[in-house]
Amino acid sequence: MSYQVNGTTVEHDEEGYITTLSDWSKDLAEVIAKQEDINMNEEHWEVVNFLRDYYEEYQIAPAVRVLIKAVKKTMGPEKGNNKYMYELFPYGPAKQACKIAGLPKPTGCV
Amino acid sequence: MSTLYALLYYFATLVLVAGLALKIRQYAKTPAPLKIPTTPAPTTGGGVFWRMLRELVFFESLFKSNKWIWLFGYLFHVGLLIVLLRHLRYFTQPVWFWVEWIQPFGVYASFAMVIGLAGLWARRFLVERIRYISSPSDHLMLALLLGIAISGMMMKFVDGTDIVAVKVFFLGLMRFQINELPTQTPLLVHLGLVALLMIIFPISKLLHAPGVFFSPTRNQVDNPREKRHLAAWAAELER
Amino acid sequence: MAPLDDDSKKNDVRGPEGHPLEIPRLACGAMADLKSYPAHPAHQEALGFPGELIDNWKEVAIAKIGDLASKNRAFQVYLDACVKCGACTDKCHYFLGTGDPKNMPVARQDLLRSVYRRYYTFAGKNFPWLVGARDLTREVLDEWYNYYHQCSQCRRCSVFCPYGIDTAEISMAAREILDTVGVGQKYCNEIIAKVKDIGNNLGLNPKALRATLEDLEEDLEDETGISVRLPLDEKGADILLITPSADFFAEPHIDGLLGYAKVFHAAGVSWTLSSYASEAANFGMFIGSYENMREIALRIRKAAIELGVKRIVFGECGHAWRVAYSFLNTLAGPFDFLDQNYPIPQHILEFTYNEIQKGTLKFDKSRNDEFRMTYHDSCNVARGSRMGDMPGGQFEIPRAVLRAVCNNYFDMDRDTIMESTVCCGGGGGLLTDELMDLRTKGASPRMKALQQVTKDHGVTHMAAICAICKTQFSKVMPKFGYEMDSILSVHQLVSNAIILDGQESNPDGQASIKDQQEADDNSATAAEE
Repeated sequence: MSYQVNGTTVEHDEEGYITTLSDWSKDLAEVIAKQEDINMNEEHWEVVNFLRDYYEEYQIAPAVRVLIKAVKKTMGPEKGNNKYMYELFPYGPAKQACKIAGLPKPTGCV
Repeated sequence: MSTLYALLYYFATLVLVAGLALKIRQYAKTPAPLKIPTTPAPTTGGGVFWRMLRELVFFESLFKSNKWIWLFGYLFHVGLLIVLLRHLRYFTQPVWFWVEWIQPFGVYASFAMVIGLAGLWARRFLVERIRYISSPSDHLMLALLLGIAISGMMMKFVDGTDIVAVKVFFLGLMRFQINELPTQTPLLVHLGLVALLMIIFPISKLLHAPGVFFSPTRNQVDNPREKRHLAAWAAELER
Repeated sequence: MAPLDDDSKKNDVRGPEGHPLEIPRLACGAMADLKSYPAHPAHQEALGFPGELIDNWKEVAIAKIGDLASKNRAFQVYLDACVKCGACTDKCHYFLGTGDPKNMPVARQDLLRSVYRRYYTFAGKNFPWLVGARDLTREVLDEWYNYYHQCSQCRRCSVFCPYGIDTAEISMAAREILDTVGVGQKYCNEIIAKVKDIGNNLGLNPKALRATLEDLEEDLEDETGISVRLPLDEKGADILLITPSADFFAEPHIDGLLGYAKVFHAAGVSWTLSSYASEAANFGMFIGSYENMREIALRIRKAAIELGVKRIVFGECGHAWRVAYSFLNTLAGPFDFLDQNYPIPQHILEFTYNEIQKGTLKFDKSRNDEFRMTYHDSCNVARGSRMGDMPGGQFEIPRAVLRAVCNNYFDMDRDTIMESTVCCGGGGGLLTDELMDLRTKGASPRMKALQQVTKDHGVTHMAAICAICKTQFSKVMPKFGYEMDSILSVHQLVSNAIILDGQESNPDGQASIKDQQEADDNSATAAEE
């Protein structure tokens, strides 16, 4: 189970989350997104970058609400809402966006 | 033949009593580590007594579940109970008055038994889900019970048996004497099947009879916040 | 991967026609190949189990059956007592949804019972063909893995069994046996390892938890105009709130958490969360491991002692409440250091209900007028616990609270609620993406019952008090023609309606949905959607 990116091999788990977080790169994000049927645009990157910054500080993905609040600040209220997040990431901003951002999958009753 | 049946009955009784005693001892000694009554459940011992009584007397959960199984199961079990009580006349001298009194009901009860068994058996063929879960032993158990019921009814309605001699035989067994047993086929079949039932009781699904009394989902009191429940092996973990 | 992709498409799996409990034709083997991901060796070992399938797995598994039967009366009796009457055959939501006969409770039990018979009973040892006994083989072990991870341990079958046989007990034992020989499930075991390591299912560390709570406090102040706190690790507080970590992360769970905070605020009690015991759920139950369940429960005891609290209150979490109500005293008691005048532990709904009875809470019910509500009884609350003093309080109290905060409330079909409630389809360790097909099919009885009340009473939303139910429904409801936010927390509705001191109700009584607006002290706002 691995992604091929720029001639290198990046291992991932059964669900497509990369196993070594330091393997992540922007090119890899594009590869993962493609597998998820997502074409990365500016808004996608905005979310992914926020997730990575948040993760770097807190070692966990933010709550959806925290993410939305941050998006609202940068992209405006018409994009800073749950519905728009699901338009960007149909399987959910938490799980799908985390996968593309190279973060571990949020576990538990979520 | 009388000696053979006498020995068979001593053996069957021994297996039934010892087997059941061992099983009951096993159930009683096995701890229940957690409180798992299916709620809503009674919050007092008295409440649990009533809950168990409703299960035993009315098959309450089965009634909630499936009216056909309940109907056939209930007919069979109540019929069996009355028939069994009726049979006490073979083991008591003088016969207790209430055993005398139920004698005529026992005759009707035998029909209830047969209808119940036939209905339960029919479901094992007709209902896809129940056909799927039935093992050969499930069919054989019903065949055995039906065989007992029909051979018993044969003696009453078709080929009368010298029931006084039968009684002498069983009273004799209770005093460790072997008396002459009549030799009509229905009687020998009936007694043979009953002995077989007694023997397989402790090693078959008939263990549902003692098992129901030990089912934690039914017999536990719903009071875990008020009273700490702790199994002996679990207490060891706290040392 | 396929399961992840499916979910994005809105497709009605079943039409609104059909009774919620309609019995399907048998579809043998329909779910035979559905296998949830196995646990990684590291997670297995963190729980005290072998990392992978051990060489002598067969002997160990057979011995484990005997060991568990000698330690658990329910397991022993239930292995013996079944007469195959068939009363349970149409009671499992996974059978109703999939038609796979091995999802009928009796057939699921028999996967294990047949092996027990072969090695532990006279008839099975000598006449296996007669009583349906079978050898333990690799195929049987795989079958156990697949089908015992298609049981949500919801106990619906146990209500209807004449002997009270509880398939949950069998499925917990089966998972314990599987773990013991080294084949655990990833979803459950990874999470339990996280709880032991970090303190909650999510892996939310104290720093991140604090940041999240501070963020939410800001939201609360924006919304209400007054300071409503979400205290963390505050020694000397009266109440320790134990809530599922999903309440710090997911929607609509977070809205429930804000509701608890408002109720505590209005009641004027001091309370705190704990970063050490930051999880209500106890997945140790799902895998049938008393030792793991106890270890997780002891974190709560330790936190309560260290923080010096007088009471423990649990947030909205179904299986958590079963473990808390029914097992906590056993696993982590005695709680003689807490205030004995209150139930130990207490459910947040018991707390809120009591405050409503005392008259300390003020509500503007009209703020929930946009919702026409029904209530989903979460399985483990309904059949494995209680609230209040009377049997059935677990049904009455949530409904009483809902009626106190909503004008429009309607119950679903009586055969699908209260003690007969059908599971959400994601309980018992099945809330994982690779089981989405099963989760959707298992949810169909509940969804059909919901569609009935939508048709009959115009019901738009459903409330629940379980983190798993909430997540599961937000994922599957779109497949049945509802929006993902049609599932609400009960305390979300409380939060919407409650009027805190310093706030006033809208003069015209209309609900105002304001998103993140600055609210001054005199204006009322409802929670954001």
